[in-house]
Amino acid sequence: MRMSVDDVKSRVLEVAREVAEAIKEGKFPELEYPPNTQRNIVFDERVGYIFKPTFYGKIKGSHSKSLKTLAGVLYGMSRALDHLENGLTMTKRDFYYLHKVEKLKGTLFPEDQRETDARIILMELILGMPREAFSITSDPRGWIYGDIELIDRSGRVLKADQVGEMGYSVPPRPENIKFKRIGVKAVVAVEKVGPAKNMIELGIPEEKKIAIAILQGQASRSMRRFLRMLSDEGVPLAVLTDLSPWSLRIAATVIYNSINSAHIPHLATPEARFIGILTRDVEEGFFKDYKFALEPLTQADYKAALDNKSLPNLQNEFWQRENDWFLQNRKKAELEIFKAMSPSAKTLKEYFIKYLSEKLEQHLGVSI
Amino acid sequence: MSGKVKLEEISAADFFYRNRSLAGFDNPVRATYTIIRELVENSLDAVELAGRSPKVLVVMKEEREGGEENLPWYRIKVADNGIGMDPEEIPLAFGRVFVSSKYRLIQSRGTFGLGGTMALLYGQITTNMPFKITSAKEGEPIYELTMMIDIKKNEPIILDKRVKGISRKSFTIVESTFEGNYPRAKRKIIDYLQQTAIVVPYISIVFMDPEGHLYIFPRSTEKIPPRPKEALFHPKGVDLELLQRLLNSTRTKSLESFLVTHFQRVGKKTANEVLKIAGIPPDKRPSDLTDEDIRKLYEALRSYKGFLPPDPSVLSPLGEELFESGIRKELQPEFVKAIQRPPSVYEAHPFIVEVAIAYGGLIKPTGDIQLYRYANKIPLLYDASSDVSYQVIKRIDWSIYGIKNPEDEPIAFFVHIVSTKVPFKTVGKEFIANVPEVAREIELGLRGCARELRLYLGRKRRKEMLLKRYELFKMYYELISWTLEEMIGERPPIENLIWRIKEGLGDEDERG
Repeated sequence: MRMSVDDVKSRVLEVAREVAEAIKEGKFPELEYPPNTQRNIVFDERVGYIFKPTFYGKIKGSHSKSLKTLAGVLYGMSRALDHLENGLTMTKRDFYYLHKVEKLKGTLFPEDQRETDARIILMELILGMPREAFSITSDPRGWIYGDIELIDRSGRVLKADQVGEMGYSVPPRPENIKFKRIGVKAVVAVEKVGPAKNMIELGIPEEKKIAIAILQGQASRSMRRFLRMLSDEGVPLAVLTDLSPWSLRIAATVIYNSINSAHIPHLATPEARFIGILTRDVEEGFFKDYKFALEPLTQADYKAALDNKSLPNLQNEFWQRENDWFLQNRKKAELEIFKAMSPSAKTLKEYFIKYLSEKLEQHLGVSI
Repeated sequence: MSGKVKLEEISAADFFYRNRSLAGFDNPVRATYTIIRELVENSLDAVELAGRSPKVLVVMKEEREGGEENLPWYRIKVADNGIGMDPEEIPLAFGRVFVSSKYRLIQSRGTFGLGGTMALLYGQITTNMPFKITSAKEGEPIYELTMMIDIKKNEPIILDKRVKGISRKSFTIVESTFEGNYPRAKRKIIDYLQQTAIVVPYISIVFMDPEGHLYIFPRSTEKIPPRPKEALFHPKGVDLELLQRLLNSTRTKSLESFLVTHFQRVGKKTANEVLKIAGIPPDKRPSDLTDEDIRKLYEALRSYKGFLPPDPSVLSPLGEELFESGIRKELQPEFVKAIQRPPSVYEAHPFIVEVAIAYGGLIKPTGDIQLYRYANKIPLLYDASSDVSYQVIKRIDWSIYGIKNPEDEPIAFFVHIVSTKVPFKTVGKEFIANVPEVAREIELGLRGCARELRLYLGRKRRKEMLLKRYELFKMYYELISWTLEEMIGERPPIENLIWRIKEGLGDEDERG
């Protein structure tokens, strides 16, 4: 995973030379790659999704239909190389705009961004590396707040509880980060910004020696990678989300990775535990007297619950039972339910601490 | 014009005068078309006999303007370099209403003489003007006769007769004035001439119309199909009336000799077998037969199974080469295929079907089936959708030949049937009846042409596909080459690869 810029460049050039060689010899070039289809992806609950290529696809330069793909991948690589050499990064949107150029009219000029996004995945599969390695990064999304000292790629030592009110903003390529000191008992990854910020504002991380990771929806690749790095350092990781069909996926993606990025290693944290909100919390636990605060499922939510029935990483009994609850009750619980329990700030802190203590003890054996 | 043809007088010109519609003179528009057609056909017959650089020239001028009440008068002049006529033949050929003799069996355009004379008679009836025939044989004096027809007596009246020097070549010019309507007949006339030009590619046809337009249909070949041979009737091809007339006019002394002499494919043995069925002694004199005997003989001829099929050598088909040549010259198609089917027989009449399919060129999709029909080298212009050919085309699934819908493609069909008796459905002789034997030959022929068309279209589409593919590959490989240059600093030459595409060598599993 840790690839130097030179490694990346030489891999890209290797592909380019291979193609050039074939053309010079009058042969139609071909690029072989393992497609990220379910055929090449194995699910193992202990490690999450594993990319195990057994079947390879070919982009054939002799085939009029895959000719565009071949040209697209090579053009994409040429832009990546150009960015790497000049120390520039680009977003997926940038990459899309790199195709909206005069020269590509009639050939690679895209109809919409989906076209170029798909090609980025293909480049990852051909080159065998995540897009961040060849300078296509996402806007940073995700923060960590708590007593953690880390050294970033520029060599600066940063304290994750002293770099802003939401903590350290996890950068697009976190592999280069080193941990200097970790003073927390556990990390709680929270789906939503609002409740997470409240926990920080109420001083819970300092008081209870935990770190709060703010996912802001589906965890970004960089956030997942960062959480995995923390877990590798031996820090227990808890995932706290809404109780909704989507949130099941968010939790499962942190734990097991997703099919879409299954070809990127080190994004799953199978040691992480999903601590809530669980159906049990609503039915007989923490929120049993607050059923009135549940939200109805929308049409899209319900559809997501139906789709969840076939997701490989949600197949075990626990996930399916949780998911069935949505189909039966057509309700969901959001993290904001804490506000419904306690309109006053003082009791809110008590409820947060009570909930987290119970859950961390119960699921991770961590006492706070 | 064809002087050696045996003619026999039938009813008076009077008959025609009263039954104009039967012969295609129902109204001025139709009459205008019919007059041109009849005179041109007579000329075509004449030039086919002469055989050297055949030409037919038609000039039509407005002689008197039409008004609110009257239609215009036209002067038509049809000239040909055919065999020419002797002066004494002319009044007989044009001055009386005749019908060709029925005592022989030969494929011809129509009933020679009758149509031409009717055309002239129509002019006389509508304008009361005489007509003029100028003709000569090679190396003989030119005679110019101004004539009318005495309708009551059915006799030619020669108003003027002049001799004008010696002609180096044979020719005939027919001139007549008639009341008609050219503007409305125009399309039909031009269609007729063009369709005729297709089926007689060895004859040049020139038409100067009253509007001053010149239409030239030059011949495209020196070859002329062989003249059909005359033959005797096939015993199964005669009707009772014809049998009676043959019996009346025969010079034979016995029935056995009568059958052998007047019918094809009848020898003494066959004759005796037939007469045995009829129960008539072979040595009985034909003139001694009673009506009852004649009926018995007729029935014996119908029921006897031992006759050989009729002799097709009386037929004069165009041939595949000439048919294609005619279509090529008029429609300039990118593809044309003609097929001549072997001779066949329906109801004891021999016939040959020739079909062709042409694609592209001047043929454009019209939303309708484009069908050119011919019977004994005459184009049939009316009632196409009732014709057997149209029905055959309709029932063929063209998609198996690479044609989705013949109405929407630049495809034209040609069907030519030659026969001693073309199975016309109606008196109008405009469309051919759905006779199973004929339909079968048309279908087999068209399918044969269509198979060739499919191969042609397959090759053409493959060529187009290869060209498109070549352009696509060229574009993408130029881009790839540029991209590679950006990365590795050198531009791999793409010519070798592109060449392979041009030669159709790309990916195996992508072709076909």
